[in-house]
Amino acid sequence: MVGAVLVIGAGIGGIKCSLDLAESGFKVYLADQSPFIGGTLAQLDRWFPDNHCGMCKILPIFSRDESSQFCLRRGLYHPNIELLPLSTVSQIDGNTGNFQATLSIKPRGVRKELCVSCDLCAQVCPVEVPSEFNEGLENRKAIYLRNPLAISSGYAIDWGSCTKCGACVEKCPTDAIDLSQEEETRKLDVGAIVLSAGFEEFNPRPWSQYGYKRHPNVITSIQFERMLSASGPTAGEILRPSDNQPPKSIAFLQCVGSRTKERDYCSSACCMYALKEAVLAKEKNPELDTEIFYMDLRAFGKGYYRYYEQAKGEFGVKFTRCRIPTIKQDPATKNLFFTAIGEDGGLVRREFDLVVLSVGQTPSPRFLELGEVLGIELNKWGFCKTQELSPTETSQDGVFVCGSASAPKDIADTLVEASAAACQVSKLLSSQRGQLITTKDYPEELDLSEAEARAAIFLCTCGEEIASMLDMEEMLDFAKGLPGVVYVEQTPYLCQKDALEQVKGKIKEHEVNRVVFAACSDITYEKLFIDAMRDVGLTPSLLELVNFREQLCSINPDHKKQAMEKAKILVAIALERVRTQEPLHLVSQNVEHQALVIGGGLAGLTAALSLAEQGFEVQLAERTAELGGNLRHIFSILEGGDPQALRQNLIKRVEENPLIRLHTETEVIEVSGYAGNFEAVLKDTDSTHEPIKVGAIIIATGGEAYEPNEYCYDQSESVMTQAELEQQLASGKLDVTELGSVVMIQCVGSRDKERPYCSRVCCSQAIKNSLSLKERNPEIDIFVLHRDVMSYGFKEEYYSQAREKGVLFVNYDLDRKPEVTIEGERLIVQTIEPTTGGVLKIEPDLLILSTGIVPNDNNILAQMLNLELTEDGFFKEAEVKFRPVDFVINGIFLCGLAHSPRGITETIAQAQAAAQRAASILSRERLESGRVGSEVNERRCSGCELCVSACPYNARFKDTDKGVVVVIEALCQGCGACVAICPSGAAKLRGFTDKQVFSVMDAVI
Amino acid sequence: MTRSAILEVQNGNLIETLNNLWRQLLEKGLVDALLIPQELPSGINVVQTLVSDVQKLESPNPLSPVMPVNTARIVSQMTKVTPSPKKVGVVLRSCELRALIELVKLKQASLENIVLIGIDCFGTYSVKDYKNLAQDGSSPKDAFIKAVREGKEDPSLRQVCQMCEYPIPMNADITIGLIGIDFEKSILIQASSTEGEAILEALELTDSPEAEVTKRDEAIAKLIEQRTKKRDEILEQTQKDISGIDNLMRTLAPCINCHNCRDVCPLCFCKECFFDSPTFEMESEKYLGWSERKGTIRMPTHTLLFHLTRMSHMVTSCVGCGMCYEACPNEVPVANIFRLVGLNTQKIFDYVPGRSLEDELPVTTYQERELLGVPEKL
Amino acid sequence: MQEDEFEPNIVGLLCHWCTYTAADLAGTTRTQYPTNIRPIQTMCSGMVDPVYVLWALLGGADGVMIGACHPADCHYVSGNYKCRRKTAVLKSILNTLGLEDDRVWLCWISAAEGQKFANTVAKMVDELKKKGPNPINAYWST
Repeated sequence: MVGAVLVIGAGIGGIKCSLDLAESGFKVYLADQSPFIGGTLAQLDRWFPDNHCGMCKILPIFSRDESSQFCLRRGLYHPNIELLPLSTVSQIDGNTGNFQATLSIKPRGVRKELCVSCDLCAQVCPVEVPSEFNEGLENRKAIYLRNPLAISSGYAIDWGSCTKCGACVEKCPTDAIDLSQEEETRKLDVGAIVLSAGFEEFNPRPWSQYGYKRHPNVITSIQFERMLSASGPTAGEILRPSDNQPPKSIAFLQCVGSRTKERDYCSSACCMYALKEAVLAKEKNPELDTEIFYMDLRAFGKGYYRYYEQAKGEFGVKFTRCRIPTIKQDPATKNLFFTAIGEDGGLVRREFDLVVLSVGQTPSPRFLELGEVLGIELNKWGFCKTQELSPTETSQDGVFVCGSASAPKDIADTLVEASAAACQVSKLLSSQRGQLITTKDYPEELDLSEAEARAAIFLCTCGEEIASMLDMEEMLDFAKGLPGVVYVEQTPYLCQKDALEQVKGKIKEHEVNRVVFAACSDITYEKLFIDAMRDVGLTPSLLELVNFREQLCSINPDHKKQAMEKAKILVAIALERVRTQEPLHLVSQNVEHQALVIGGGLAGLTAALSLAEQGFEVQLAERTAELGGNLRHIFSILEGGDPQALRQNLIKRVEENPLIRLHTETEVIEVSGYAGNFEAVLKDTDSTHEPIKVGAIIIATGGEAYEPNEYCYDQSESVMTQAELEQQLASGKLDVTELGSVVMIQCVGSRDKERPYCSRVCCSQAIKNSLSLKERNPEIDIFVLHRDVMSYGFKEEYYSQAREKGVLFVNYDLDRKPEVTIEGERLIVQTIEPTTGGVLKIEPDLLILSTGIVPNDNNILAQMLNLELTEDGFFKEAEVKFRPVDFVINGIFLCGLAHSPRGITETIAQAQAAAQRAASILSRERLESGRVGSEVNERRCSGCELCVSACPYNARFKDTDKGVVVVIEALCQGCGACVAICPSGAAKLRGFTDKQVFSVMDAVI
Repeated sequence: MTRSAILEVQNGNLIETLNNLWRQLLEKGLVDALLIPQELPSGINVVQTLVSDVQKLESPNPLSPVMPVNTARIVSQMTKVTPSPKKVGVVLRSCELRALIELVKLKQASLENIVLIGIDCFGTYSVKDYKNLAQDGSSPKDAFIKAVREGKEDPSLRQVCQMCEYPIPMNADITIGLIGIDFEKSILIQASSTEGEAILEALELTDSPEAEVTKRDEAIAKLIEQRTKKRDEILEQTQKDISGIDNLMRTLAPCINCHNCRDVCPLCFCKECFFDSPTFEMESEKYLGWSERKGTIRMPTHTLLFHLTRMSHMVTSCVGCGMCYEACPNEVPVANIFRLVGLNTQKIFDYVPGRSLEDELPVTTYQERELLGVPEKL
Repeated sequence: MQEDEFEPNIVGLLCHWCTYTAADLAGTTRTQYPTNIRPIQTMCSGMVDPVYVLWALLGGADGVMIGACHPADCHYVSGNYKCRRKTAVLKSILNTLGLEDDRVWLCWISAAEGQKFANTVAKMVDELKKKGPNPINAYWST
């Protein structure tokens, strides 16, 4: 067994999976074929269902100082993750637990350790090609940076377009460019492999009817994303490619490349991103006319339906149900128009200034080769095939998959799977946890509590980059004259190894204990500089970086006076900060290596096992006498698999696992403490237990089936829910040979005013039970009355099958629901047939209600643990996309129906994800705080608790005996909200004290 | 739910009737102690007393028109460390009660075992004016009550009282209702909590006719209208007097940095003020640096910063009791300034200090969509 | 540019996660903007105590820019919302006292908005130039 993992694909799924593994003690190689990380996600600015950005929230919460704490667009750093750009896997030998992976590493053409991202090479490069990052809306050079924010990654050469003219080589001030680099191979020993290579967007060019590339104003959704992006080619302005004018009307055409004969699957994310794009466009210009042309509006995720309603109501986005056959262009105006048959059978004629094609997700064509190398099977569409009821397992032991590599999905589901895959790997390699991560030994940090501040200022000239803007002699003189400065020096490239060695020498020689590096953006070399500080026994808090390059780059080179002035101010700020800075050391606290899982349904059982199988003890509390929760009532799954066998297997494994302590008929009645150190009191039917100490808590308390009171449910034996039908089919109680017709009504108790969310599983249930009925008796007439059929992903194929088998899907509107009456023995269902507008009257033998999922009463638990609930009564996660199973209150995790409605496989993935997040705490010896963190001056604290209310992490509480507030160091993230609200100055942020801030401001006013 | 009862005034003596009420509270064990203003033997001031022996209830007079301290501070002092173990009746004016509610939200006081007895307030004189009136030999309280009965405006009342639009207490268990009532004959006792109702019950008071309540409500509405009008007049003048750096500096010219305004403010609850903290213990080079920046600086430093910062800390909770002005040795119109800023600022959040324990303090909460004008639009 | 033209001095309290990054991006993309801003990095706009802004203004800064993440983007969940409330209080105080609350700007600038950062600084400089120097500088008696 090898405690290292190869993650293939450095998009958001790969990054998340790597971080989760790295955080729980494994060495990770994160490989990507491209020179840069970030995948598709880096091209997007804001996300549904809240129009926000939240990427930075996936960064580690604990021991945060060891990983990069920057916007993820700027780069990623974690000591346990080695990034391997330009790498493809060419061969895999060995078996699960002991793979040897051979990687071919394409030459970057630029030696990363020498590249200072000065951009001079790109400026002289004569070759221009369309930028992939900006989707061809802009050009880039043959030597390039994918995204200007990502300067830490260094430049790369695109060999496809490079003419090897050598202009860049000549220009490069650090001799970083090497056009003769050759492909290398590298062999890695890894215990497991995770495939997270994502998807490719469908290329609509072959769909000539839409005129993509022929009609300039027909663009793809991802091109539109780039236009919406503030850092995109239009700086966030929406402009028609034909005339660079803002459009007045935009159409979004759904299912481009999805839900066709050739690709009979749904790409799952396009409805939502089209909604988002329309909303963002409307936010920019409320006058804009936006219309989405769709077949089914698949807003099935958590909070998505509300977002849809908001788009419709608040933003006035229009929706029209029809598929557009062809787009024509007015040759004069370049406007686009089309005609289609609408839902009501009438003609839909429209003209638009801009048409956005919502392109679907397709598997990367290189999966074919990769599949062979990895020895994994692909499905018929070319996605990686996963095992029944195990969403991240491939056909090859030890090779896992997550994200869109296995099926099209959105970010939230991708991240859940990423954590789930990390969980599966951790289970496999748990014996090797911590074996391969290397920690550098630094000398002990000097005790400077009594020492006077002695500052050194190192000025980097960045070759000519900075030196050409500044009079370095004058800068040196200026720096020398500043208070507390004992040493000043300039260096051509501070980032180069020799230079740093010299710096270290000077620090020691002059007994320097405060350091200012005036160089470039902190993301680029912060880690290097911090490392240098620690090498000489100085805590990194005594280092301050000045971003000379980026802050001066923006000044016109002719305005040297201004540049000097600004440079001096920047140095003054940094010096004042560092001079007034106390040395900050890390503190840590112990961790209980046991978890509490609340709820013994599918989610709880899976989570408990996922932790126990990694070697952690688990206390599992179930309220009822029986394990299995809602799973007990499910007898088949649309995509296959036996839920009852799954249930029995899980229960058996839980009962037999010596690390799991099972408590049935037990409730949690009290919880205190915090991440790493919770104390929970359980109570069963007989008694209240002694408090147990746990490091993490997983909430898997489930949800319930909606109890219908509509559609004559209580008035006739012939009206039943899908679950009841399923049970009767399974038990054989229902005689299907006698049935003439069956009507199913969807969205019963979902997607209405009272419960404005989609229950996600009911459409699959209806399709599944329809197919099951048809299989047993093909003669039955089945009518599914629906609002939108949510057969996302590969469920689409079953939807097609059902239709082929004659199941009739009839759409109805929320304000024109079907009517059900009983006349004598006869059931009568009436609904409006949308194409004719007439009333369709059916007298079915059975009426099946597709009832949704409702939350349990979660209030008590939420209050006990200080957690928030959504408006719908489900638990509210920390961040809908980037921390989907975490809470803002750290150490508590969430999965299953307590989170939101979801299917069996999705629940399994989510439970594994929650377990992995918990494992990232349980696997640590100690939880380390960050250097910047808050404190309380007890003498000054009046105990008003304003800071307690301001702290988003529950890191503060009042010690009622002392009457003062106390900080839990490990939970504090150092945001300083407490400081800003504390009137007396009792709350203090280490690294940003009031006095420091005042001092710094004094230095610049 | 409010229950209103009638308390007959014996022999037209309001004070004596109320004294009887206070005595009963103690004698019947409805409270174990009473925090109530009593006249000092000299007659030239009225101070808060904590009475546990009914015999020592010598000269209670919460109606006397003087307020040497905002009693919220005293309740905070008594209940901050531990809640009261015994039942204490606390007699408060509206501004005191409002400040107390704010302090409870700020965890500086506890209402456990506290019976809040609010009294309708017609306003108060400054301690100095009261003292002078008393020394003149006239009885300020009798004259005051007479003036109130005759409905006369009293220009010598403290200005903050003249413009106080909260003459009736909010959130009291029991309210002693005087406004709009002919208190030679009877007064209205209103209970607004189960605690209060139990007291009404124990005192065996009869329900008030609806008409009395209506009469009072109408009188209150009228009084509030008058005072609001007055408020707007006064604050308009204040705005003129202080607005702009020129005027503001002139207004603050007499400030001697004594920080008395802070020391008496019921909402300046900090154990130790930020401005007395080590943050403001500066090295001499700092002072010299500031001096060099402008050529000269006022010493001691940070006069304006102190006032503005104090304002940013407590102005959303400022109840306008005016204690700050009373404490200012040099008559800087701090009370009017804080009232003016308070009004403008509280309005933004639709926040009325002391209105309800349920209303969250404006700076401890937020809504996702609000204050859309605050960030600069580009 | 004339030598004696008034150049406003702007203290920028910029959130580490978003606005400070945007300032970097403006540099990387060589977007030009006036040099009048003195960028001071903060962990979060939620840590901007009103007294910091007052200190800068009373100390003579001609303007203060608080750079924050867009609503709901805050790395620390809600720091920017809290900042917005506190800024509203502060502006109300300044405004009531006639102390030119429009010298204080709260700006939502995300990490990707280098251009917006540059535009905002430019616009702020422009408007402060119109307003003229902070009048407090004429007073030593504050």
